[in-house]
Parts: sequence; structure tokens; C-alpha cells
Amino acid sequence: MARSTSKDAQDLFRALWSAYSATPTNLKIIDLYVMYAVFTALIQVVYMAMVGSFPFNSFLSGVLSCVGTAVLAVCLRIQVNKENKEFKDLAPERAFADFVLCNLVLHLVIMNFLG
Amino acid sequence: MSKKLIVLFLGLVPLLCTCFSPDTPSDRRVLVLLDDFAIKSSHSIFFNNLKSRGFDLDFKLADDPTISLQRYGQYLYDALILFSPTIERFGGSIDAAAILDFVDSGHDLIVAANGNASDLIREIATECGVDFDEDSSALVIDHSGYAVSATEGDHTLIASDDFIKSDVILGSEKIKAPVLFQGIGHSLNPSNSLVLKVLSASPSAYSANPKSKLTSPPSLTGTSMSLVSVVQARNNARILISGSLSMFSNRFFRSDVQKAGSPTKHDKSGNEQFVTELSKWVFHERGHLKAVNVKHHKVGEVDEPAIYRINDDLEYSVEIYEWSGKTWEPYVANDVQVQFYMMSPYVLKTLSTDNKGYYFTAFKVPDVYGVFQFKVEYERLGYTSLSLSKQIPVRPFRHNEYERFIPAAYPYYGAAFSMMAGFFIFTAVHLYHK
Amino acid sequence: MAASDAPNGDVLIRNAFGSVLAFLILLLIGVLAFSIRLFSVIKYESVIHEFDPYFNYRVTQFLTKNGIYDFWNWFDDRTWYPLGRVIGGTVYPGLTLTAGTLYWFLHSLNIPLSVETVCVFTAPIFSAFASWATYLLTKEIKGVGAGLTAAALLAMVPSYISRSVAGSYDNEAVAIFALIFTFYLYIKTLNTGSLFYATLNSLSYFYMVCSWGGYTFIINLIPMHVLLCIVTGRYSSRLYIAYAPLVILGTLLAALVPVVGFNAVMTSEHFASFLVFIIIHVVALVYYIKGILSPKMFKVALALVVSIGLAVCCAMVAVIIALVASSPTKGWSGRSLSLLDPTYASKYIPIIASVSEHQPPTWPSYFMDINVLAFLIPAGIIACFSPLSDASLFAVLYIVLSVYFSGVMVRLMLVLAPAACILSGIALSQAFDVFTRSIKFQLPSLSDHSHIDARDASSEKVVLDDTIKTDKNEDTPKERMTKRSKKKEKEPVEKPPTKFQIKKRLSVLPFEASIIAVILLVLLVAFYVVHCVWAAAEAYSAPSIVLTSHSNDGLHVFDDFREAYAWLSHNTDVDDKVASWWDYGYQTTAMANRTVIVDNNTWNNTHIATVGTAMSSPEKAAWEIFHSLDVKYVLVVFGGLVGYPSDDINKFLWMVRIGGGVFPHIKEPDYLRDGQYRIDSMATPTMLNCLMYKLSYYRFVETDGKAFDRVRRTEIGKKYFKLTHFEEVFTTHHWMVRIYKLKPPKNRIRGKNKKSKSKTSSTTTSKRKGTRRNPF
Repeated sequence: MARSTSKDAQDLFRALWSAYSATPTNLKIIDLYVMYAVFTALIQVVYMAMVGSFPFNSFLSGVLSCVGTAVLAVCLRIQVNKENKEFKDLAPERAFADFVLCNLVLHLVIMNFLG
Repeated sequence: MSKKLIVLFLGLVPLLCTCFSPDTPSDRRVLVLLDDFAIKSSHSIFFNNLKSRGFDLDFKLADDPTISLQRYGQYLYDALILFSPTIERFGGSIDAAAILDFVDSGHDLIVAANGNASDLIREIATECGVDFDEDSSALVIDHSGYAVSATEGDHTLIASDDFIKSDVILGSEKIKAPVLFQGIGHSLNPSNSLVLKVLSASPSAYSANPKSKLTSPPSLTGTSMSLVSVVQARNNARILISGSLSMFSNRFFRSDVQKAGSPTKHDKSGNEQFVTELSKWVFHERGHLKAVNVKHHKVGEVDEPAIYRINDDLEYSVEIYEWSGKTWEPYVANDVQVQFYMMSPYVLKTLSTDNKGYYFTAFKVPDVYGVFQFKVEYERLGYTSLSLSKQIPVRPFRHNEYERFIPAAYPYYGAAFSMMAGFFIFTAVHLYHK
Repeated sequence: MAASDAPNGDVLIRNAFGSVLAFLILLLIGVLAFSIRLFSVIKYESVIHEFDPYFNYRVTQFLTKNGIYDFWNWFDDRTWYPLGRVIGGTVYPGLTLTAGTLYWFLHSLNIPLSVETVCVFTAPIFSAFASWATYLLTKEIKGVGAGLTAAALLAMVPSYISRSVAGSYDNEAVAIFALIFTFYLYIKTLNTGSLFYATLNSLSYFYMVCSWGGYTFIINLIPMHVLLCIVTGRYSSRLYIAYAPLVILGTLLAALVPVVGFNAVMTSEHFASFLVFIIIHVVALVYYIKGILSPKMFKVALALVVSIGLAVCCAMVAVIIALVASSPTKGWSGRSLSLLDPTYASKYIPIIASVSEHQPPTWPSYFMDINVLAFLIPAGIIACFSPLSDASLFAVLYIVLSVYFSGVMVRLMLVLAPAACILSGIALSQAFDVFTRSIKFQLPSLSDHSHIDARDASSEKVVLDDTIKTDKNEDTPKERMTKRSKKKEKEPVEKPPTKFQIKKRLSVLPFEASIIAVILLVLLVAFYVVHCVWAAAEAYSAPSIVLTSHSNDGLHVFDDFREAYAWLSHNTDVDDKVASWWDYGYQTTAMANRTVIVDNNTWNNTHIATVGTAMSSPEKAAWEIFHSLDVKYVLVVFGGLVGYPSDDINKFLWMVRIGGGVFPHIKEPDYLRDGQYRIDSMATPTMLNCLMYKLSYYRFVETDGKAFDRVRRTEIGKKYFKLTHFEEVFTTHHWMVRIYKLKPPKNRIRGKNKKSKSKTSSTTTSKRKGTRRNPF
């Protein structure tokens, strides 16, 4: 049973990998960016667990800045993905402009909240 | 008589302008109400003493219909001496309520009663917290503390030396000879904090009618009975109540005194010294304090702020002076305390002094915000009570007064900035890739 | 007009005409929303109403005078003496900042309006905005016709009018606009999937958080909607874009508001949004993998991913539950807890239960506040289900939740009102749609069209004329409103057909039935309009600071409150402290500018309990409590002479309860005779000797000789008494406000010797010094 499960899992990951390698490069860049953000967020959570949550606003803004960046990047990825039929009529340029605006707001708020 | 009055009144006119004021608290114009003018001569030592200290005495019969304490809402006198123990009704516009109003507006009063004190005098005394023995014919009798005297074999003449222990009230010089007293005793309510027993009866004294046999236990006995008491009202008006008018008389002043059972015989009774010192206290020549120049400011600053912040360091100072009868002298003590008070004292500091009347301290505002008060509550036996309070709000930190750039938070700062940098790089890459 | 062109079938012109018409109608709705709220100004005067608005007014004055940074850091030492209150950190700044901005804007245009005027008219202006936001929201859900109808309904829904008449300068006035607008932007994001709207949505949410504590409704409703969408299999990438950025940005922005601060992540009202945030990520991942994998492999993946995802979720839930359980109130603040458990507040927090607007509403209040909308809601729900979209699902969820919440707390009727308007708008619009289509299919279509259009245009013109004239006659507005609403119902009539004509729907009803149904609907709506105008004019326009009453000999005006506050401000020292029950705290600070002990903010229960204890104590104990708080004056509100029911005697039991909750020597049964609260001769001695009774009824017998209390409808129990520790210094014309001064301590202390006439007073006074104590 366990054997078959792990074999299934192997198959699955192989299939996943092959499917994923088919994605366009610009989406892969976004994915990389998302991974980077999530990783930074995790590091901060670990750091908080060790040091304690004293400057809580700084912690919050640090983590939320990472999570926010990741979420926004995912949104962008959804919108610029050509396979996604929902956003056919949304130009990638428009999507990117929205993304930039959103990020500006996010980082402004973060700057405000950090200190 | 009436002409004399007018002259007297004209003489008083310039004085009317300088009525009792905190700057010169001593009384200057004194109304003396007498049962009959004989008292004026029989008590002349006391009166002359007052005159020599600068007081203006105005002698009137207590039932004189022209007497009045105030005219056009202004009091004509700064103090009142009631040497009229038997009066049942004052003349003119004066009654018990008028006298009490006189006291409540900050004026001083000396009341002397004796063996057959009238209800009116008793009522005034009661209103001031002194309860004379209700038996109108009772006198203070002491079979062991009486004054040995050739003329009077009576045990109602008492030589008492049980004084209050206060330099402020009785002066710094010790009264060596006992005080002769003949009159009625009174009791005080122990919970009454305003009234003080200046001359107490001895443990063997009691109050009863000396002419009749003692049928029931006397209501007033021993040291709980007071012979002479003083009252300092909350507005710092001072009242002296004595159960004996003859205590002030020339005869008692001059008389020699020997207390029964005591081998020493004094040439002169202590009455003159006792009464003089007491009258100095009553007429605010001693023990009258004032506090001025209450100042507070942050350490390193001079101006008084409208509001403090929590954890500010501040300095507080006040100047306290005592009236000496002529000038304000610096008051020296080491027990003046200031409270920083909001519902309960958060800071309680004893003030340091430079012995020139200047008291100061420095402390840190507690870590609590709210509306605080600087409070100085100084109540010492015999002194006027000082009660200063000054309101000052204490605010929390402003939004930009909190700590910033905490080292522990640097990773977070780093993360946030790296995200911003990442955003720019990503933007560049994304656009370039297209 | 373009009406003649329309029948030619030029679709473009028709659309242009439609949008111009819609724009005009919206404009008129705005004017209607604004003007229907001016009854209070016309009938009374331009004053701030009630209690809380006075505080907001005072804060706005401070803001306009000292600027935003001083406002942010404002430590108010004139209230909650001696504790003070940090205004900047405990107030929702949205309303104040809005009015402040408005004021600065007007002044930069050299329009010198006073702060008070700006404050008075903020609420009507924002209700116009709110009706436009309703239009937008409903348009997103069901199209233009429904949008216009809903906007018109909202413009005059009584429930909203009650909180936004001119002068009712309270948080809710702007918050309802923010609420609807946030919902609109959410639906808009959901429909378009644009990050731009998502950003706007979070900013609008930020404004809502600034404005009102009711923002928790949004942050719980939207996650619920998201969850519902996921559960019903309606997940889409648009949902993700609408939700995920909102949570992150919204939380960050909310944490920026000082009064919310870390609560935005620490209290359990917000946890639902985080939970759903995690769930939506898991679901998004699942959908993504499903998208890139073949169906066969997906089945394998599903088992793995779902199990892992579930494990993660369970862990999260466990952590959250642990967090919640570890906090003392289980993480829920009292007001929110009383939402879930209606009996919570009255059981544990008398101070919350004592406020009438925290009580559950009665059935008549539903009819009063939303009127016929209550009957249209079910129809609206049905309309939402055909066809069901994400947006209409949201509308349904919104109405269901708000009905529940309004059932818990009268105050939240306000949240229900927009939902009711939206759904009723949908229902009405759909119904007219069906009926008029039936009519149209059975008539020669062309002539009918031109006929309707022409009539519409003319009625439009009439309405315009009427509005310009702004006739103050009582009848004309009613008529006008009726006309306009008629027109509004007709408006959707003429547009949808262009769409539906092509589709050739089969659901055609008999001609006569349709006509009758349309007439009935118009009557229904007319009834609603009449009710709304009545509510706006009579029920909700009283400012409660000035009272009027009609009697046989004409109109009586009771202006006692302002009389009393003016007396205070002219006759007392600037730093004097005035004690009263907390209801009058805001007014005293704002109108009399005197320091108060407690006010309507009710943040410190102990302090309020101290005042409650003082009011329920005998005179001497009360004097000591007040003296320890440096109180100089005591203010009581007494309605017994004129029959003003919400006076202090009627609130007195709450004082006893709140006081007794902290100081156990105050016991409620001592004030009740056999469980009954009474002030007549059967009242308990404790009651007859307490301070509140004495201050209220002191010298009352001198008014009519019998001391008949018109509120309690009885003669009072103790008529002749003297005050020993307080002295009356001022009583207003109708005795509604009575101000007493604390007597200073006796200058002398009497002895004990019996003087028959003053025996009692001597014992009390001689003891006073010894028994003084601090109540803390």
C-alpha cells in the first residue's frame, strides 16, 4: 500500500514537473518571485518565534509585506496567464499596471507601519 | 457719648480699607463687649497689653443698642472679645448667628464665661464645638489641685498647670507658674479635630455646684474636662474659649499662687504670660503660615508647562512664610511634603528647604497619564493649615515619541526593504522579458 | 428631446438616452436623499442632535483648530476626570476627518461655513453618496433598473434616516456609505477580476475601518461569501483576486487606525478572514494543479494535496482555537459577544445592556424602520436565485446575516436597511419587468413605446421643476416623491425590453392582471414613500436636545438642556468638575465646556460605577465620593414636572446595577419593593434616601402642592426634606435639568450640647470628619 502510494507520488511529481516545465518563462519568473517572498516570510516567522514578538508592528509589517507581495504576484500570474480564459479581455499591460499600483499602495502602508 | 462714637468711627474709616487680608493677618480693630464697664478697669492689664501691641480696642456694653459688627456688608472689626458672660441678648443687630458669621468670614473671637454663663454664650460655644457643663450653677472644683490662698478657702479657685504642649500656641518660653482659674469647665468631642484643649483640668477635678451636696456623679470629671480651649476653624479663624472670665482679671494676674500640695510658692501667677501668649496666637501673631510662589517645571526648563508627559522629570518648589506680627518670616521645617495626586498619591516627597522659606524637590512623573494635582497638605498643631493643590494634566507619548529603530526589528526592516527591492527587480525583469 | 428618436430603433441613441436618464435620476435621488433629511433643520434649527454627535462635533472643532497631528495625539483632560481620555487612540477618526476635510475644502474655496454647519450637513451629504453607492452595488448585482430602484428606496429608508438626519453627526452617517461602497468594490472586483478595483476596495475598507466599529461586519461577511462560493463550487480566479489582496492590504490598513491597531490581527472577530485566506490558497492551489494535470493524475494528486491541506488547516484551526481560548474574554469583545449570544450583555455587562440601542428590536420597529421592504425581501431573494451569480449570492448572504444581526441589536437595523433596499429594489424591478413586458407584448409596441417615453420625459421635467421650486408645503413633497417613484418604476420598464425583446421570453401574463399588478405595486411603493416622509418629518427629526410637545394650548418647546449648559458655562469656573450620569457627559463637555467625570464613551466601568454608587448612596456618602473626585456641581435630569420619560429616575436602576457590580454594598433589591421599582410612599427607605431621589425631588412639592410625578404617574413618597450636603444652584424653566453644588465642609464643628432644633444635624456634622473615606 505504502509502496503504491509512494510510487503514485513519484508519478505525480513527475507529471507535475513535466506539466510545470511547459509553463511560459514569464510565469516561471513570477513563480520564482513568489517563492522568494514566501521564503522571506517564513524566515521572519521563525525569527519571531525565537526572539519574541516585541516590536509587533515591525513583525507584522515585515511578514505582511512578504505575504502581500506574494499574493499580488499570484494575482498577476493569474491575470497574465494566457491559458486562463477568464481574463481574455484584460490586456497584460493593464494587469501589470494594476499590479504596480497595488504594490505601491502596499509598500506605502508597510513603510508607514514599519517604524 | 455719641460724639465720641462718631470720632471713633471717623478714626476707623481709614482702617476700614485695610480689613483682614492674607498679607497682614494680624487683627487691628477689636470690639470688646462687656457686661459692665467695671470690667474695663478690673481687667485693664490684659486690655493695656493688647493696646500696647497695636490693637484698637472698642469697648461697648453688650446690650448697647448701637453696636453692630458690620456696616454696608463690610465688617467693622477684625476680632471680637466677649467678656459678657451673663448677657442674654446682645443689643443692636448682634445675635449668636451674627457672631458665628463673623467667625465664618475669617475673624477671630475670644469668649470668656463664668459661673453663671448665659444660654447665649453657651450656644456660641457649642456652635464652636465647646460644650459647657449644662448645669448652670456648676463650677469646677478640685480638692487636691486648688490654689492655696489666704482670702479664698474655696476649692473652686484652681491652680492648673496642665498646658497644651505646643510652642506655637503658648510661645517658646515655658510657663512656670500655674494658672489661676475660677469658672466652669467644658468638654470637647474627641472626634472634633478643630478644637484643642489648651488648659486641662487635673485628674481630681470635677464640675458640680459647690453650694449643694453632690447627689449624682458629676457629668464632667478629670482630665477629659477642659478649662480653656482654642478652635481653629477651617478658614483659619481662631477662637479662644475660656470657662473663666476672672482668669483675665488684674487680680488673678497679680496674685501669688501656690498649688495645694506643692511646696513652691510663685510670686506671680502664670495667668499674664498664659493669656498674653494665647492672645498672640488667637490674633494671628504666631502660627500663621502662607505659601506663595508655587512653581513647577521640567528639569532644565524655567517656564511652567501646561501639560506634562509621562516619565518627565520635573522640579517643584514653594515658598512658605510665617507671620511674626509685623513681617513675614521664612518658615523652617523639615516635614513639608508634596503629593503628586490622582485619586491617590502616586508620588509623595518630603520637600528640601534652604531655611529661607524656599522648599523644593524634583521627581519623575509616574508612568500613568491623567489629570494630576500637586498637593501640599500641611497641618501641624497650632499652625494654620496649608492646603495647596494645583491641577496639571499628564499626557501619554505622542505618536512620534515612541522608540524607533529597535535592533530586534532589523530583520523585519530588512525583509520589508528586500521586498521593495525585489519588486523593482521583478518589475525590470518582467518588463524586459516581454 | 431624444424621446422622438427612440422609436426609430437606433440602439446607440437609446442607450445614450438611457444613461443620461439614469444619470439624471441618480442626481435626483441624491437631491431626494439630501433634502428628505432636512426636516429637522426646517422644523427645529440647525443643531447637532443627541449625545454622541456632540462629542464628534467637539472633536471636529479641535481638529479644525489644531490640525491633524494634535488631533491624533489629543489627550483630553476635560473628561473622565481625573483619568483623562486619549482621544486620538480611542476614537474612530473617519467621520471627524471627513468633516474636517470638507471644512478645509470649503474654506479653501472661500466659503466660510462654521464647523457646526459642516457637521450638521455631513450626514445628509453622505446619505446621497450612500444611495449612489447602492445604485452601483445593485447595478453590479442585477443591472441598472434594479440599481435605480434600490438607490431610490435607500434614499428614504426610515432606518437610515433615523441615523442620518441633518444634525445627527454620528459615525454611522458616513459608515453606511463606506459599507455599501466597499461591498460595491468587492463585487466589482469579483466581476472584473481587476487588481485596480481590489486596491480601491482595500482603501474603501480602510475608510470604513476609520469610520465605524461595524467594519467587523464586512470582514466577516466577505470571508463567509468567499467560503460559500468555494463550497458551492463557484471558485474562480476572480474570487481569489477579489479576496486575497483585500485581506492583506485591508488588515495592514486597519492596523494603521490607532483605535483598531493590533486588534486587526489579535481579536477573533478578524480570525475568520485569515482562516478563509488560508482556505482560499489551498483551493487555489488545488484548482491550479487540476488545471495543469491530466484528470487521471489529478485524482492521485487530490488524495495527497487534500489530505496535506486538511492537515495544515486543522493545525491552523487548533492554533487559533488555542489562541482564542487563552484570552480572557475568549477574544471577543463584549459588544460582539452579545451579537452571538443575545443574553450575554444583560448577563455580564450592565453598561452595555443599559443602552437602549443595544436591546433586541421589537416587531413594530421592523415595520417602522424598513416598512414594506420587509415584505419585498423574500421576493428579492427569489429574484437573486434566478439566475444565481456570485454577486447575487453575496446579496442573499448579506440580507440573511444582517437580518440575524438586526434581530440581536436595534442598532444593527442600520446594516439591514441597505440590504433590504437592494433586495427590494431587485424584486420591484424584476416584477415591473415581468408585468410591463407582458403589457407590451399585447400592445402595438411602437406607439406604446413613444407614449411611455414621452410621458416619462414630461414627468421628469415636472419633477425637476418641483425640485427647483423646493416648495416647503407639506403636501407637495409627498406628491413629488410619489411621482418620482412612479417614474422610477417605469424607468426600468422601458429599458430591459430592448434586451429581452430579442430573447422572446414566453412568460407572458394576462394583460389585465399585469395592469392591476402594476397598479398595486405602485400603490405599495406610494405607501412606502408616504411612510418614509412621515418618518423623516415626525419620528426621526427631533434633535432630543430641544423637545417639543403639542397640547391643547399649542406647541410647547422645552429647551431646558441648553439652558442648563449655558448656565454652567456662564456661572461656573472653567476648571470646575460637573458630575452627572454618563449620558450627559458629551453634551456637558461640548456645550458647557466643563470637565466631566464620566461620559458616553463608557470605557472605564469602575469610574461609571463610582458615579452610579454616589447617585445611589445617601447624601453624606455621596458627598464624600463626589468630594474625593473634586466634583463641584452635580447635574440631574428630571422629567417629573413635564413628563419627560427618559430622565435620571427612570435610568436609576441601571446606576444601581452598574454601581453594585463594582461596589457590592449597593444592592439592587434594597431599591425595589417586592421587585417593583417605585418612588411613591411604598418605596423602600433606601430608595427614598438616595441622592438621586433627593436631588430629583428636592422642593418638588412646591410646584403643585401634591408632588405628582407625571412620568411615574404617582405622588412621590417623601415630599418634604432638606439637603444637608448639597445646595440647589440652578433649576431650568421646566425643571428638566437641576444643578446642585456640593456644600463646602463646615467651617466649624458643632459641639454635642443639645439644642433641640438642630440635634440631628449636630451629630452628622460632628462625625463627618472622622468617617471621610476614599471610595477607591
